[in-house]
Amino acid sequence: MADEKSLQGWMPTIGGEMTLERIIDLAFDYRGNTTIVKGDGSEVTGYLFNRNKSAKEPFIQYFDEQGNGPFTLPYSQIKTIKFTGKDMAAGNSYAAYLERKKRQQETGATAPLNAAEEEA
Amino acid sequence: MWTVASYVLRKRLTFQNRYPLVLMLEPLFKCNLACAGCGKIQYPAQVLKKNLPLEKALAAMDECGAPMISIAGGEPLLYPQIGELVEGLIKRRKYIYLCTNALVLKEKLEQNLFRPSKYFSFSVHMDGIREDHDESVCRDGTYDIAAEAIREAVKRGFRVTTNTTLFNTAKPLNVRKFFDEMMDLGVEAMMLSPGYSYAKAPDQQHFLHTEETNRLFSEILSNPKKKWTFNQSPLFLQFLMGKQHYECTPWGMPLYNNFGWQRPCYLLQEGYAATYTELLETTPWEQYGKKSGNPKCADCMVHSGYEATAVNATFASFKGFKDTVAATVRGKP
Repeated sequence: MADEKSLQGWMPTIGGEMTLERIIDLAFDYRGNTTIVKGDGSEVTGYLFNRNKSAKEPFIQYFDEQGNGPFTLPYSQIKTIKFTGKDMAAGNSYAAYLERKKRQQETGATAPLNAAEEEA
Repeated sequence: MWTVASYVLRKRLTFQNRYPLVLMLEPLFKCNLACAGCGKIQYPAQVLKKNLPLEKALAAMDECGAPMISIAGGEPLLYPQIGELVEGLIKRRKYIYLCTNALVLKEKLEQNLFRPSKYFSFSVHMDGIREDHDESVCRDGTYDIAAEAIREAVKRGFRVTTNTTLFNTAKPLNVRKFFDEMMDLGVEAMMLSPGYSYAKAPDQQHFLHTEETNRLFSEILSNPKKKWTFNQSPLFLQFLMGKQHYECTPWGMPLYNNFGWQRPCYLLQEGYAATYTELLETTPWEQYGKKSGNPKCADCMVHSGYEATAVNATFASFKGFKDTVAATVRGKP
């Protein structure tokens, strides 16, 4: 949800209730790039867009930072996932839009009203 | 109408319970607006830059076999091969609704990217009268640009419809005034839906709950004007007004995009299947819809889930057929 705390910057470690499956679910819901740490210690950064935990061999799918892919990786080869990229669903609330609009009306400025436009 | 009716009857006569009515195709996620109620475009740059290869888009259409397609996004007019995509679909005799915010429609019309066809309609996103629409899409001036583009498209002989998403901020009198404005602009028909509470949408405060939806649509549609034409099943409009009670048909309007076939529906994003057959066969459908108790489905009354149910209801029973005919003859849902 937009008003929930963003996971941006979170570096989870597995233990207690925090299972790899849970981390993968959170990464799947996350609207930003993540860094997948593999079992051999190597890392790959990209957008995790799919996961199938009920497949015979559970797997994730992602596009890398350059947009190449999709690449498929079994759960068994993943050590953890770090939430390294910007959360694109955060910080662009409707309240923030109204605030920007009010500010524009007061100052007569013509800056973009959407945070997305500001970043473009 | 006849195409849809014969398609549904064919499916029913061959005992196919799960079939697609409209393919929802998202050839890209990039958009030139960032609307408060939209949960479709919040992706990192490399994903926003991706365009679905044309051959994959057409293959998805061939694979699922739906008689209609809604090209959504993102803004489809920013898709580099939109002209070729539409032409390929017209050749396949599919009924196409190109959903656009119309900000660059006039420019694309001047480039002669499209030709008028009975199979092809622009479905312009308009959420209300000028003030309400601009507020909804978070940018001033969009209503006027879209209205001008609609006039131009109508003048050039294109079929033009509108699609409108209503939130709990909607004022029934304004919506009725808006319908007048759209019909006066020359649109062929209008399409309505309550907004869906996307988890990733920036604005979470203004989505409608079931009772609010029923009340709002009853106030808007109870006394419709003769000149209003809706591009929807009358039974779906009755459902929005609380006069019909339906279950969701999540497979009725399947979504295909760069990630694959989205599970379970156009709105919920719980994973992707590589093929349409895999989507149908491996999605746990019993976990979705109001009856399932899934909280994500509790207040959903969106056309992508229920329009297919309403169409099916028309042909599934004498009552459904009778209700549809009665509403059509009466000119009142």
